[in-house]
Amino acid sequence: MLGFLLLIAVAAIRLRDLFAVVMLFGIYSLLTAVLFMDLDAVDVAFTEAAVGAGVTTVLMMSSLRLVGRWEKRPMHGPLLPLLVVTITGGALIYGLSDAPLLGDASAPAHHHVAPRYLQQGLAEVGMPNIVTAVLASYRGYDTFGETFVIFTAGLTVLMLLGTGSATDVRPAHSPIADQIVLRVVVKFLIPFVLLYALYVQFHGDYGAGGGFQAGVIFATAFVLYVLVFGNQAARDVMPAVWLPRLAAAGVLVYGGVGTFSLLLGKPFLDYGALAADPLDGQHLGVLLVEIGVGITVFAVVLGIFYALSGRRRIT
Amino acid sequence: MLTAAIIAIIVTMMLALIRAFQGPTEYDRMLAANAFGTKTVLLIAIGGHALSWHSHLDVALLYAMVNFVGTIAVMRFFESRADGDCGEEGGTL
Repeated sequence: MLGFLLLIAVAAIRLRDLFAVVMLFGIYSLLTAVLFMDLDAVDVAFTEAAVGAGVTTVLMMSSLRLVGRWEKRPMHGPLLPLLVVTITGGALIYGLSDAPLLGDASAPAHHHVAPRYLQQGLAEVGMPNIVTAVLASYRGYDTFGETFVIFTAGLTVLMLLGTGSATDVRPAHSPIADQIVLRVVVKFLIPFVLLYALYVQFHGDYGAGGGFQAGVIFATAFVLYVLVFGNQAARDVMPAVWLPRLAAAGVLVYGGVGTFSLLLGKPFLDYGALAADPLDGQHLGVLLVEIGVGITVFAVVLGIFYALSGRRRIT
Repeated sequence: MLTAAIIAIIVTMMLALIRAFQGPTEYDRMLAANAFGTKTVLLIAIGGHALSWHSHLDVALLYAMVNFVGTIAVMRFFESRADGDCGEEGGTL
């Protein structure tokens, strides 16, 4: 499995056909997802499959449409980068020799806070999926920071590229988009994709899923709509100016929950303050926070896609 | 029984992969890639059941959707190259 990954990575570096590289990275990310599944990290595998194999491939493809398919020859020799990479890689491998083996019960990761999360998580947060409990409740600050990172990244892309307005770049009529079968099937499919996204969003407390994955899947439904029905139709449903506002609103929901518990005299992001029973409060808090994350991720992913698909090709 | 099904799916995936690498035309490659993705969904579903990964069906469902969107994106990519400025790149592959 790891050998496969190595092979794909080497092939991706050697190839100059960027389209093939994008495809290879799709497979690479799928294999990574399977590895995560095998390590029993379903939430991570889920994210990897949705983001790595799904949205990234589509985003890369629409950037390829702008920049062309073939990689230019690099202007510098390979020696200096090779030297830097070799030194860094050597340092990393040297550092790895001190790391405990996979599954070693005496590893520090299993002794610091993990036992408490695993043993008391159900009683303190009341959620069967311990990953969501750790992510949204114990490590709420970290996740807040991650949401901010996504928000900032999205804003940066929109500032650099703009949301694009050229409606004729991806017209509503084209040989593929005029296929009646495709139009009907996609029209049927989109509600189910949205429903699945909502399921992932709200089922995160109990099984694999959560705001990050749900936002990506929700955006994927709109990407599908753009691909088949054209830019203008999608912008009629979800205007581009709303996306930055939505992204900000998601962060605001997250921060608002934290500030609300602060005003009630508890620490920032302590959801126990939200209801009379701390367990109910935890449930409510995690739900609200996940919705905030989902909205931000959705708006950012769709905003980046709009930005890329609304531009003309650079010639 | 499950093992036989898994082996059959892997063989099909190999065949699809060979077609994707050889395939004389773009359409062969695209169909092969799509078939490869569909078989991956089946492999996750059956393999997940055999190895008792939990919520493997969620991942399989997600991947089925991703695969569909990806195929359409690839088609649109080739379309946008076909009806315009592919002259200066000259790559027909």
